[in-house]
Amino acid sequence: MANSLRSYLTCIRNTLDAAMCLQNFPCQEVERHNKPEVELKTSPELLLNPILICRNEAEKCLIETSINSIRVSIKVKQADELENILAKKFLRFLSMRAEAFQVLRRKPVQGYDLSFLITNYHCEDMQKHKLIDFIVQFMEDIDKEISELKLSVNTRGRLVATEFLKQFI
Amino acid sequence: MAAVAIHQFAQCITCHAWSPDHSMVAFCPNNNEVHIYKLVREKWEKLHVLYKHDQIVSAIDWSLRSNKIVTASHDRNSYVWNQEGSEWVPTLVILRLNRAALCVQWSPKENKFAVGSGAKTVCICYYEEENNWWVSKLIRKKHNSSVTSVAWHPNNILIATTSTDGKCRVFSTFIKGVDARATGISSSNDAKFGEQIVQLDLSSTWTFGVKWSPSGNTLAYAGHNSMIYFVDDVGPSPSAQSVAFRDLPLRDVLFVSDRMAIGVGFDCNPMVFAADERGIWSFVRFLDERKIAPSSSKYSSQLLGSCTANRNME
Repeated sequence: MANSLRSYLTCIRNTLDAAMCLQNFPCQEVERHNKPEVELKTSPELLLNPILICRNEAEKCLIETSINSIRVSIKVKQADELENILAKKFLRFLSMRAEAFQVLRRKPVQGYDLSFLITNYHCEDMQKHKLIDFIVQFMEDIDKEISELKLSVNTRGRLVATEFLKQFI
Repeated sequence: MAAVAIHQFAQCITCHAWSPDHSMVAFCPNNNEVHIYKLVREKWEKLHVLYKHDQIVSAIDWSLRSNKIVTASHDRNSYVWNQEGSEWVPTLVILRLNRAALCVQWSPKENKFAVGSGAKTVCICYYEEENNWWVSKLIRKKHNSSVTSVAWHPNNILIATTSTDGKCRVFSTFIKGVDARATGISSSNDAKFGEQIVQLDLSSTWTFGVKWSPSGNTLAYAGHNSMIYFVDDVGPSPSAQSVAFRDLPLRDVLFVSDRMAIGVGFDCNPMVFAADERGIWSFVRFLDERKIAPSSSKYSSQLLGSCTANRNME
């Protein structure tokens, strides 16, 4: 179980290593503009093939690259209804504070739970391998966070129910 | 062999050029200025700052004999700077571009320079004495995407370009009045301005860093698919070799001699390629030890500069 997580994350790390070769590239369509080509998709020659890495049917990661930007979208594991709700709320909380993260995208790509948008400016300000470390660590921590949240919801529910039913003893 | 000297000028350097005697270096610290530093008694001191561009300066070249600096920027402008006394004075260049300028290089005779742009054109600029400005002739409709790098052949007429459409092309830039027609029949000199001599479709993805060998016999360029291509006998029937490597793609190439070339790229470690007696190119070694370097592709331009300095000091 832990093995598949390791190899999933290693695969994502190696792909990001190769995909995050970004450079400053001015827009070909509009003069004096500089836009992340992976979002605009106006010039197909500037986009590389997207890669989809699946751990199983429920968890996957889509990496789309272009000459000056890369978009990483992840779908986290949601085993039951409770995890569904928890994941949605938690990731919405994070996405609303996307400015603080700098590389987070405010809205996830259609079909995924969370998206990162990394541009060449991020690679100039921050170190590339640290960015990749951040993303991989993020994915590891999300799983842990949601499991912890689920545990605490269940624990709290049990405590509340016990307290409430004490009055009937 | 580790680096000869390491000096951090700025957090990020977009492009740079060495002065003819290699005592000064001009670079753009990822903004719209050009800084010129001079090596004074083992320390680098800032001599001049050239302010003229509105957006990031994407390319600088310093001519060897006439001591002129040409800069090109994402704001569609280019300036030629002449040193008058202790100041650098800009001269206007009429580029007629409607997109960013990406790369620039002086021709070997320094009477022309070429600018590659995001408008999918190459501007060949020459000086007009009457109006004291540089005018340009455009090579239009020959590229399908932005022109990432240009390189002049030693004969001052041929120019090679690489583009994000994956192709490397060689054009003739013969301009009446600027270039003298050579005696004798030579196919390259008979070609009109902007005529495409050869188109090389070796790479499946973006190409960067085209360079001619010092004799002009070999052409080298790097593809984003982690390959470097060497082409001999550029003409009707070129012979090409490609060297693939396991590491991250290269961003620029420099010929140290006719048989040795250095490539720099996203690995932040220069790679040395050499040709053996039969002319077969292969990867020799890395110049630096493997280490986690804190910079990105901008490192490539900085490293090439130190390689140029090393080569000239040997």
